[in-house]
Amino acid sequence: VVILVRSPLPRLRALLQRCWGQLERGLWPSVLGGQSPPWGPVLAVQGPALVPQGINDARESSAEAPSLLESVLWMAAPKQRRTIEVNRSRRRHPSKLIEMKRNIDVCPECGNLKQKHVLCGYCYAKVKEETRLIRMEIHKKEGGPFNAPTVETVVLYEGEKPTEKDAGKRIIERARKRPSWFVQN
Amino acid sequence: SGAAWARGLLSWARPERWLASGSLFPLSCIHTSTSLQKIGKWEKKNRIVYPPQLPGEPRRPAEIYHCRREIKYSKDKMWYLAKLIKGMSIDQALAQLEFSDKKGAKVIKEVLLEAQEMAVRKHNVEFKSNLHIAESLTGRGRYVKRVRCHGKGMFGIMKISRCHYFVKLVEGPPPPPEPPRTGFDQAKEYVQQLRNRTLVHTL
Repeated sequence: VVILVRSPLPRLRALLQRCWGQLERGLWPSVLGGQSPPWGPVLAVQGPALVPQGINDARESSAEAPSLLESVLWMAAPKQRRTIEVNRSRRRHPSKLIEMKRNIDVCPECGNLKQKHVLCGYCYAKVKEETRLIRMEIHKKEGGPFNAPTVETVVLYEGEKPTEKDAGKRIIERARKRPSWFVQN
Repeated sequence: SGAAWARGLLSWARPERWLASGSLFPLSCIHTSTSLQKIGKWEKKNRIVYPPQLPGEPRRPAEIYHCRREIKYSKDKMWYLAKLIKGMSIDQALAQLEFSDKKGAKVIKEVLLEAQEMAVRKHNVEFKSNLHIAESLTGRGRYVKRVRCHGKGMFGIMKISRCHYFVKLVEGPPPPPEPPRTGFDQAKEYVQQLRNRTLVHTL
């Protein structure tokens, strides 16, 4: 809940008083019962050059403030307080409740839960960790940015020898047993 | 000597059931929690001890009450999650919460796992999957009012809300969901109401 509080500035207060007075006189002429004379031009002045520049600021502010207050009167606002019953019915409507998910399965590899259209989180984290370690080895071999070779890369684990297929490829050694999910070509 | 006296006095009342968990010397004094933190009613529900059951009675299912206080989340938003898992088995509830995008889902999942472990360790529950959620509620925590700055020197007062979450696990499979009320049921009830009418203030 946010409540706007106006920090009182004297200029704004004087402005408000002036505009409220104008509104009262303007909107309820019938209340006074014809005591106020009918409106008519008191002084007809031609041309903008006759208007002194000092009143410009007050005119501008008085010109824009009634429009702001008139629009305030026109704005949509709640007429009645919404009762707690009405509020509850809206908040607990079935469309607003969380739906139960029916697309949750068990991952056949690790046995954790996974969504049907999404990779298993545990298996993905496992692969991500191994990839990070392989990338660290690559970084150690390359030594810096922009040193990637133009040949393919092959990852070999403990006790593995490069085959004839891996003749011209760059070899990255990892000091552990080959994980079961990383199939060797 | 004071400890021995207290032990002798309270041995008949079996204070180990009453004392809060996390005390190093369970029989050294009567209450171990500080007086500043009031033990809530929900935590005390775990301490009730029923008299032993008679041989012919059906087995009373185990009830485990657990809660977490002052979670930094809104109670209304947490209520939607509590409503989701009400009446589900604990495995199903954990599955739903794991894939929910809400912040409170992570908290409720932790609470459920804690409660499940408590059930197996302390409340004599045989299978940790054989639990279902009988009640899951949210409560209002302590609110704090803070200033939120808007433009042009205006400010609003915002409230930083916290909530509590309460859950009651009961041993056994979840109860079958109630069939929705059909028109036939409503008609039957109406006819029954008409039949129950009698004459009052007569002979």
